Amino acid sequence: MGEARTDLSPAVDARAGAEGTRIDLDDVCRHFTVGGNVVRALDQVNLHVDESAFLVVLGPSGSGKTTLLNLIGALDAPTSGTIRLAGTELTTASRAERTRIRRRTVSFVFQSFNLFPALTALENVQFGADVAGRAHAERVAEQVLEQVGLGERGRHFAHQLSGGEQQRVAIARALATGNPILLADEPTGELDFRTGVQILELLRAQAEAGKTVVVVTHNREISRVADRVIELSSGHIVADGPPVGGRAALADLHW
Amino acid sequence: MRRFRFWTRWSWRDLRRRWLLVTAIALVIALGTGTYAGLLGTSAWRTQSNDASFAAVHTHDLRVSLPQGSQVPEGRLAALVSGLPHAADVTGARERLVVPTQIAGPGGLLVTGELVGTDTRPGPAVDGVWVSEGRALGAGDDGRPRVVAEAVFARKNDLPTPAELTVSGGAALTVVGRGQSPEYFLITGAQGGGTPFLSQKSYGVLFGSLHTVQRATGATGVVNDLVLTLRPGADRDAVAAELRRALDAAQPPVAATIGTRDDIDAYRILYDDIDGDAKLWRVVAVLVLLGGALAALNLTTRIVEAQRREIGIGMALGVPTRLLAVRPLLFGAQVALLGVGLGLLVGWAIGIPLRGLFTDMVPLPIWRTPLQLDVFAQAAALGFVLPFAAVAWPVWRALRVQPVEAIRVGHLAARGGGLVVLLRRLRLPGPGYHQIPVRNVLRTPRRSALTALGIAAAITTLVTVFGFLDSFRGTLDRAEDELLHAAPDRVAVTLDTFQPLDGDVVRRVAALPQVASVDPGLLTTGTARAGDRRVDLVVEVVAGDAGWTPTLTSGSAHGGITLAAKAAGDLGVRVGDTVTVEHPQATPDGLRTVQTPMRVTGIHPNPMRMLAYLGQDSAAAFGLTGTANLLTVTPAAGVAPDAVRRSLLAVPHVASAQTAQAATEGMRASLDEFVGVLQVAAAVTLLLALLIAFNTTTIGVDERAREHATMLAFGLPPRTVLGMTTVETVLVGGAGTVVGILGGYALLRWLTATTIPSVLPEIGVTATLSGLTVAEALALGVLTVAVAPLFTLRRTRRMDIPTTLRVME
Repeated sequence: MGEARTDLSPAVDARAGAEGTRIDLDDVCRHFTVGGNVVRALDQVNLHVDESAFLVVLGPSGSGKTTLLNLIGALDAPTSGTIRLAGTELTTASRAERTRIRRRTVSFVFQSFNLFPALTALENVQFGADVAGRAHAERVAEQVLEQVGLGERGRHFAHQLSGGEQQRVAIARALATGNPILLADEPTGELDFRTGVQILELLRAQAEAGKTVVVVTHNREISRVADRVIELSSGHIVADGPPVGGRAALADLHW
Repeated sequence: MRRFRFWTRWSWRDLRRRWLLVTAIALVIALGTGTYAGLLGTSAWRTQSNDASFAAVHTHDLRVSLPQGSQVPEGRLAALVSGLPHAADVTGARERLVVPTQIAGPGGLLVTGELVGTDTRPGPAVDGVWVSEGRALGAGDDGRPRVVAEAVFARKNDLPTPAELTVSGGAALTVVGRGQSPEYFLITGAQGGGTPFLSQKSYGVLFGSLHTVQRATGATGVVNDLVLTLRPGADRDAVAAELRRALDAAQPPVAATIGTRDDIDAYRILYDDIDGDAKLWRVVAVLVLLGGALAALNLTTRIVEAQRREIGIGMALGVPTRLLAVRPLLFGAQVALLGVGLGLLVGWAIGIPLRGLFTDMVPLPIWRTPLQLDVFAQAAALGFVLPFAAVAWPVWRALRVQPVEAIRVGHLAARGGGLVVLLRRLRLPGPGYHQIPVRNVLRTPRRSALTALGIAAAITTLVTVFGFLDSFRGTLDRAEDELLHAAPDRVAVTLDTFQPLDGDVVRRVAALPQVASVDPGLLTTGTARAGDRRVDLVVEVVAGDAGWTPTLTSGSAHGGITLAAKAAGDLGVRVGDTVTVEHPQATPDGLRTVQTPMRVTGIHPNPMRMLAYLGQDSAAAFGLTGTANLLTVTPAAGVAPDAVRRSLLAVPHVASAQTAQAATEGMRASLDEFVGVLQVAAAVTLLLALLIAFNTTTIGVDERAREHATMLAFGLPPRTVLGMTTVETVLVGGAGTVVGILGGYALLRWLTATTIPSVLPEIGVTATLSGLTVAEALALGVLTVAVAPLFTLRRTRRMDIPTTLRVME
């Protein structure tokens, strides 16, 4: 698992500089063959993120936003084009290198949380720190869990937590890795409005602390609090820029 | 009809979609069903073959046997029969001369054995010889040195036909054929003057005419045995009682024992063994079937779980519950049918090696091995019902829930943590995720328990089967330890008649250059009674200065009889109690049977129940003071025991000479043949354990797919994920193995206590589990499940993480 990282700071990693958070996609295509038909999930996508930011990838179902997230997260490989993540070329990386990139550069927050049911909340968070090779993983986990407001729930198992709490644990797990890029796929999809806003608040705070946070959602309202909104339709980026009408405060959101 | 076709088609699609799991379940059921059908089918084969074989050679209904060394003039026993009130019930009677002997032959052959001479007067055969090779003896062979060799003895010693043999006393005999006779279908402790362990290879029987055997042994004009057959429906006991009275009333009286067909050891064991084996096979088959059913339950539960949402959608659409049950039940029925179909093939396939093993191990002249349709039908029914019931339960559970619960997705559908909360405070060292395997076992306690029980069933079978062998080997070891604890080079020489201690025979043996010393003794048969219990004995009078005396676990060897612990237990007596021993006693008119009360003064540990010992001080009861029919010979320095045996061949009246080591070698050889049958069962159980482990791992990987995908998404190497799967399955497999070993030992004890006493009452077999068996069971149980996850390595390494995460959502 490589050398242990000894910093205890949960939110900001030493590598979270310009190169650490950099994402470059050039002419990226991702095609799937389904029942003999070629589905162009992403087609000639170019995207460059050169500094820490809160990005929202917006689009309807089937627009290719989850595919984009999977490619950035080294979970999938493009059919053509190049992807560089924190300075590392992903397209030509071996399976082992991609595993290492996932361990050291990106971390995930899933719509269905995907907590490990056999572990307590604290242990789930510690998983992130352990996998990333951070020293004092348990202390890091305690700090991060405290940071997401669940310091008192550390000994509870996933099935003993509410949906919002589970998602906060999932975010804490991602933060505990200390990785500079955080990828969240519909993180509020299964939550009520109030809990969803709390989650967005947490994610925004990470971007402000120097990480690149990419949130995929079909909820246009969420894009209002982003630094940058990338809109996808049928595999193409159809809009890329700050939210229309400027960035809104979290308190102004409604859905 | 159309609706049924719709559901059937849908369930076929389910089968195709999960073909690997379906095949695995079907194979597990097939192994259970096939083992049941294959193993239990052998009982019917053996019964039919026994019936045909014993009938074909006209097995005697009654036998009159004179004590060893006792003979009467030829014709005297037959004459007694013609004077019986029920003489008309006797359909056949043959006088015989049965003499223990040594047989030397080509290739250095030198074995202990018997010469069986039967009178060749015209009339129905009794205990005939079924000649399978060469030719049968005819009228022209009467008195000529021509014999038929016992077929298995001849085959196992590669005896050619014709072959020239030399028997005790130096007579040469020509083997003209190979054949079998009912008392020698199996060689048991009854042969060889009570030598406990013999096998067909190391015990030669030569069948000849009465006059041939008389000439070969120098016992001209005498017989010592009479065999009778009775007409169907005759009162056997009445004829036996009349015979007893006739023997006692004869002048001089004839000391003899009267036995029935049921007293033929080979007959009794061959039939009793079927029941004993059937009991073992039934246990093995049911365990394998149970293991299969548990595995099937595990797998079908998983499959029904996978259909949970579809069932919920059906509920939401208002489909009646009973109709919703059709698809999973049809699925279960089809898997069960597939399993049963394959099972019948497995049963047929298992039958092939079993047929070969049985015909080799139990060499009956006639073997009938037709397909046992009734057993197969029974196996098919069980093979169908058990797994089908295993499907019905999860279906019933799935249909009990509210539709809203069934169609829930994501975290809302996640169930509780099982017993995992119990381990909240238990922290294993290392990273936090090291806790996952142990906790996963408890998170799904039902599945873990079912898997562990499935593996336990397989291991229980394995331990029981190998425990049987251990128990027999342990018994042999105990007998060997007892026989060889002193003077291991000694040779036990039996004489065909009682010889004076200062007579020519004893002097000639002592004078042989190969012999260092000779200790004369007495060996005779008898029966001990205590209340209504009886035990047949081979009583040896032990010379005080002999090189070997029995070990005593309690009491002393003087002033009474020393019994085997098994005999004392069966008679319900202890040291200090008195038993009545029925034994031959020499009188001026010959031998007669008397009853003498004897105090039990000692208990010896030899597991052979029949072996009893008397001190010289008690020998007077036999009226044989000053004579011997057993010589314990110590070889001269540097002389091998076999050289002593060979030198004894030319000494007249030497019936047999056996080394102490040889006593158990024959039985070990027989045991090795028995191992073959057990190995078939062991192979099946091993395959079953592998399948269960593979299924468990496949389910585990399936159920943990989402967790594994998450771990891989976070950059955990696939080998670490695989390692966690392995630890989880090893924990379950280990628990199952431990339960299996304990269960196997308990079952072994039960079977040993309930089966062996009826099948082999003469042997005190105690349930023994060797360290090797335990180690093998542990290794198999744990290694099998540890290896199984390797089959999923490729799947884990190549897991499509986004798809897995998306599908699971």
